[in-house]
Amino acid sequence: MPTLDETPRAAQAKAASEDLAALLARVAARDSAAFAALYRATQGVLYGVVARILTRGDASGEALQEAYVRIWEKAGEYDPAKGSPIGWMATIARNRALDEIRRVRPASLEEMPEGFEPAAESVDPLAARARSERLTALIACLGKLDADKREAVLLAYYRGFSRDALAKRFGAPTPTIKTWLRRSLMQLRECLES
Amino acid sequence: MSLLPDDDSAAAEFALGTLEPGERATLAARRLREPELDAAIRAWESRLSPLAEATPPIEPPVDFLPAIEARIRAAATPPAADDVAALTRHLARWRAAAMGATGIAAALAIGFVAREAARPAAPREFVAVLQKSADSPAFIASINLDKGELSVRPMAAPPQAGKSYELWIIEPKLGAPRSLGVLDASAVTRGSRLAGFDQAVVKDATYAVTVEPEGGSPNGQPSGPPVFVGKLVPVEP
Repeated sequence: MPTLDETPRAAQAKAASEDLAALLARVAARDSAAFAALYRATQGVLYGVVARILTRGDASGEALQEAYVRIWEKAGEYDPAKGSPIGWMATIARNRALDEIRRVRPASLEEMPEGFEPAAESVDPLAARARSERLTALIACLGKLDADKREAVLLAYYRGFSRDALAKRFGAPTPTIKTWLRRSLMQLRECLES
Repeated sequence: MSLLPDDDSAAAEFALGTLEPGERATLAARRLREPELDAAIRAWESRLSPLAEATPPIEPPVDFLPAIEARIRAAATPPAADDVAALTRHLARWRAAAMGATGIAAALAIGFVAREAARPAAPREFVAVLQKSADSPAFIASINLDKGELSVRPMAAPPQAGKSYELWIIEPKLGAPRSLGVLDASAVTRGSRLAGFDQAVVKDATYAVTVEPEGGSPNGQPSGPPVFVGKLVPVEP
């Protein structure tokens, strides 16, 4: 039941989150039916995370599979205090994708994955249907960054843009981009902790 | 105790994903032996993770669940015992390599000594950073001692056209290097061949990677000197 101070969206996010947390707990106890249910419930978001970062479909499939094997292995380590189950799982998937692009070569602006138009490059977190309290807070803090810097952070997060790729996009030298990113992240932390 | 500002920023960029490949690999190796750095990276991941909730879903092109379940099963099934081969030819060279590796490993492991002394129970999880020098980790091997499970993640191993990387365990008690299998340079390699070895041997051994003909050494012996070496250090629980 939503409490009075919860918006419907937050209540929706909370209910979904509790379901996933219960599945994760069963996966930690080596329940393969729960693992299948967890996969079905989350494959779209996790594939969405890796496919926006990796430019090749086979690489996305590989990263997705590695991520779920890792989720099976690490399910017992999920800590609700550190974030939502989907955030935890997506971070694992994202790290697999980042290991892949940062290992071979930087992401190339010329090699967009199929189905992504340049206009749709950055995901708009405001469009999220269900918003957790943590997402609401993060969006508020992102809103305090300059527009360019916010876009740079979001392109890095959702599309895996390297500093060089961001430098090309914003017509700024790579060291400047590095400074932007570091200052923006520090500003975000300060805002989140205030 | 707190992180240096540079490490704090690097941890933030690690979580965002914008470190250069070399910086990322170095930080990934350092976090294994620097708990504060590891905690800083995790905190940044957690701070940014709500963004992932907002990711619009994309249906995978195929159903990967059967393949994932097969991988999970494969990781849980021990393979047949390794062939035991007499490898006298390379032994002297390998012993020398192992001695060299010990020096590198000592440098890596030094931070663990104090904590090890205070630890009530013996650790069961270990990692080895397989590298040429301390700033260029090529592979990271993780080992669960109880299960004999081994997983090896490529960090910055340059792809070798027409060649394969092969992992070996070297320990005087084994007499000669023993193959732990061919490593994938672009994905995690998992195996449980270590289950056949004595735990003390697994813990004390030197792990080395050679470049072999495609598919691995044709005769069960290393074809040349190791290109990356490492020793195990315990993972903080």
